[in-house]
Amino acid sequence: MRARDTGASHRLTRWIPAIVAPIAIGVGVVLVPLQANAAVDLPDLTPAELLEFAASSDVESLSGTIEQRSELGLPDLSGLTGAMGGGGGSGGGTGGGTEDFGDGDGDSGSGSDGDAAASATDLDDLISLATGTHTAKVYLDGSNARLQVLDRLAERNVYLSDEGAWIYDSAEKAATHLTVDQAALDALEAEAQAHHDEARERLEAELGAPLPTPEQLLDEALAKLDQTTDVSVGTDGRVAGREVYELVLEPRDADTLVGEITVAIDGDTGVALAASVTARGADEPAFSVAFTDVSFEAPDAAVFAFTPPEGTEVTEHAVPIPTVEELEQWKAQAEAESQAEAAPGDEAARPVVHGEGWSAVVELPAAGVGGAGFDGEAAAMLGALTERVDGGRILSTSLVTVLITDDGRVFAGAVTADRLLDAAATGR
Amino acid sequence: MPDLAIETHGLTKRFRSQVAVDGLDLAVPEGSVFGFLGPNGSGKTTTIRMLLGLVAATAGDARVLGADMPHHVDSVLPRVGALVEGPAFSPYLSGEANLRRFDAADRHAPRGTRSDRVALALERVGLSHAAKKKVGAYSLGMKQRLGLANALLMRRELLVLDEPTNGLDPQGTREVRSLIRSLADGGTTVFVSSHLLAEVEQVCTHAAVMSVGRLVAQGTLDELRGSGSRVLVRTPDPGRARAVLAELGLPIGETAAGGIRSVMDASGDELVTARLGGSADAAPEAIVAALVNAGVRVRGFEIERASLEQRFVDLTGEGFDVVA
Amino acid sequence: MSSREANDGPVGVDARVGRSGGAGGGTLSLLGSELLTLFRRRRTWALLGALALIPILIALAVRLSGGPPTGRGPAFLDQITNNGFFVGVTAILVAIPLFLPLTIGVVAGDAIAGEASHGTLRYLLIAPAGRIRLLLVKYAAAAVFCVAATLTVVVVGTLIGWALFPIGPVTLLSGATVGVGDALLRFLAIAAYVTVSLLGLSAIGLFLSTLTTVPVGAMAATAILAVVSQIVGALPQLEWLHPWLFTHYWLGFGDLMRDPIVWDTFGDNALLQAGYLVVFGALAVGRFLTKDVLS
Repeated sequence: MRARDTGASHRLTRWIPAIVAPIAIGVGVVLVPLQANAAVDLPDLTPAELLEFAASSDVESLSGTIEQRSELGLPDLSGLTGAMGGGGGSGGGTGGGTEDFGDGDGDSGSGSDGDAAASATDLDDLISLATGTHTAKVYLDGSNARLQVLDRLAERNVYLSDEGAWIYDSAEKAATHLTVDQAALDALEAEAQAHHDEARERLEAELGAPLPTPEQLLDEALAKLDQTTDVSVGTDGRVAGREVYELVLEPRDADTLVGEITVAIDGDTGVALAASVTARGADEPAFSVAFTDVSFEAPDAAVFAFTPPEGTEVTEHAVPIPTVEELEQWKAQAEAESQAEAAPGDEAARPVVHGEGWSAVVELPAAGVGGAGFDGEAAAMLGALTERVDGGRILSTSLVTVLITDDGRVFAGAVTADRLLDAAATGR
Repeated sequence: MPDLAIETHGLTKRFRSQVAVDGLDLAVPEGSVFGFLGPNGSGKTTTIRMLLGLVAATAGDARVLGADMPHHVDSVLPRVGALVEGPAFSPYLSGEANLRRFDAADRHAPRGTRSDRVALALERVGLSHAAKKKVGAYSLGMKQRLGLANALLMRRELLVLDEPTNGLDPQGTREVRSLIRSLADGGTTVFVSSHLLAEVEQVCTHAAVMSVGRLVAQGTLDELRGSGSRVLVRTPDPGRARAVLAELGLPIGETAAGGIRSVMDASGDELVTARLGGSADAAPEAIVAALVNAGVRVRGFEIERASLEQRFVDLTGEGFDVVA
Repeated sequence: MSSREANDGPVGVDARVGRSGGAGGGTLSLLGSELLTLFRRRRTWALLGALALIPILIALAVRLSGGPPTGRGPAFLDQITNNGFFVGVTAILVAIPLFLPLTIGVVAGDAIAGEASHGTLRYLLIAPAGRIRLLLVKYAAAAVFCVAATLTVVVVGTLIGWALFPIGPVTLLSGATVGVGDALLRFLAIAAYVTVSLLGLSAIGLFLSTLTTVPVGAMAATAILAVVSQIVGALPQLEWLHPWLFTHYWLGFGDLMRDPIVWDTFGDNALLQAGYLVVFGALAVGRFLTKDVLS
């Protein structure tokens, strides 16, 4: 008699693959990035050396994929945007697929009742930019450049070349051609260079010494920056599979919401491969942009070629090239205006900056932007986004706070709501 | 003792709290036609499913054609043809296509001879005329025949037939019986489960009886019948007759059905019955002599070779359906 | 094995002698039989016919209405009047969220549960098909159906577009224009992309199919999961979960309509689907190996 329990133990062994498979995948998901990040040790550099290294970068051509993420901590708007039809359709590759159900169209929204809907859609676009992930391809080769924003089932392109620029939006089927008068541009450059040399000679003559070298200028700038910001080189890491230095900027100002800004600089070529802004006290960056893969080989020339396809609405736009005289004139005008700004009567018409450094607050006078500009859905959206406080409405994100006072003024800054209210009350 | 085609030890299947098969010790000799009897719900089909590796045993083990099941299903099952709990086919395929499909599932079935073997199997069960017809249009009896054909696609060492005559008309039933006989003559072991006694009695050499998940008897048909024979004594002296029978060691105090009992006869005589067998091995003539010697007025004496049916009613406490 | 021996029937001797003679039907043979069974079924053709109706209806609607208002409806729709090739792509876009998952759900959900409900599962297993082998074959058949389903939409769409509208070089999302040959190759690549996208769902359907003997239950559960996954994919609150959803890259086939083609999504999608295949395949194996076949 060999009665034995054939049930339980056997059944268990047969479930082993089912138990092992997810664990193996989980371990892989955790370990592979860990391994990729393991043991990066580039030669030590001071912040100044690192900046110099980055400035001396002579990369002429590259191609790669950029991913931009925003986690600004906006209030939840899904219900609202959903009601307006469409939703963040341009959020490249984030959502599932429901937005293209039925007659729902990703970008234009189902409402077509005039400007209110349009401005709501614009807001919607803005919000989709401020939340979620966007992917783009970048190609660079000498004077040719192309930015290819990969939206879901749509694409926006910017082509830059010596001949000018093309901006193409597949969703709108619209292309804009920006052309520059090359001769005028060359003339301007030559003239500017001449002016520059002239000014330099004059200055050197006045000072009786040669002008500081770029290195000296950098040191000076760093010293100045150091008053407000702690600049350091962080731990070496890896971006897009490449070893990078990490430049860390930490505001010394306690009033600002910005915790730190990091820039990843390729240890080999000195190209910045990633940047992120982290709010004070947060672990994850509120905003980040980074290469997910990059190659420094010259991309195929074909990627820079663009001819507007048939049926595309082409807008030709010639960019006027000012002469040096015009530039000087503009400069003078701007200076005059900035002096006029001090005049009390004109104050309301232009933006005012209160404070300085990281905790500076920008004030937009009434009627520039404001609640009055929105109606209908846009107003509802604004209402959902903002929070009522004494004296106005506050829109707070993890990095930026905006105060819209009841009298229509707008205050904004990378600061706390209290600082804005304070600025609104005291005008400082 | 011949090798065993099927052998189980303590085979047990529990579905949650309910015990379907309880400690089954089955021994099916090679070359036998083995009847597996029991009322509906007695655990026959569950046992067959365990033997064929469809259901995992909770405890105990089973050997089929000398190999452990279910660990050797891949090597054992190609040598086994089976009809389990009625035929089942894809209704949207023809009978022929269904057979080809099951044949293709058997890794050992040669593709080259598939058409021949399918045609032959259909012919053996008399379905050649309906080969191209969709199974959805088959009658129950035709499906049953097709199920048998499926079991006969390859030469088999063991055939497991669960209720093979279900749904067949008397003619079909006779055909199946002769088919089983011819297969057995060829040396194939046939394991036939049935709730129909007559079916088993007519073709089987061996049988086993299941009742509520337990095996209550197994052996050759003669062995099974033998232990069920009874003595019937017609006498006006029932008390003395009972005493004599008890003295001879004939079973007393078993179940009411199996022990000595008396029945009032219409003539005033009583009919005393006792089970033959047990520990005592009394010959009928010795019983009569003993009764007469004791002064019992024997007015009638009969040895009733119990029919299997009576025997099984005794064993299971339930009646069997009688073949029409 | 000679037919003479077969004529002797399953009698006597050592059965294995006869068996060793011929080439046994391998797994491919079982797959062939499975595909034959699948495509001999009227239901399979009904599913493919329903899918073929999508491009036909789109093309007829656009043709009869003289073109949709620009900027409304699914992407590519407004391009159909200019170029009939876009019928196929538009139809794929329309079919992906619901119709394709529905048909895949029917086939994959039916795989084991359908056999169980017919009772044929027990006969396949005692043939013996082998449980893992049967699962593999069932999955392969579901995958073949995925190919057939997407090709039906793309090919019927391209043909009807060809018939009803002018055709010509195709404008890609990037604004570049490619010739007819290149465009057709890209459509095939899209069909491949969509097929790959559906492989994870097929594995889920196969697993669900091993859980029940009621095929309709497994079919419905598979289709519902596809819809739920897409809804979850649209909820920003669950963004951390999005890259793990099997529907995450379903609409990513647009990357094949760019210039140059962006293959990243294809690779990511394939990897994700492979992950689903491994996990749910392993679950299906675990479940099916331990399953008591009682039907």
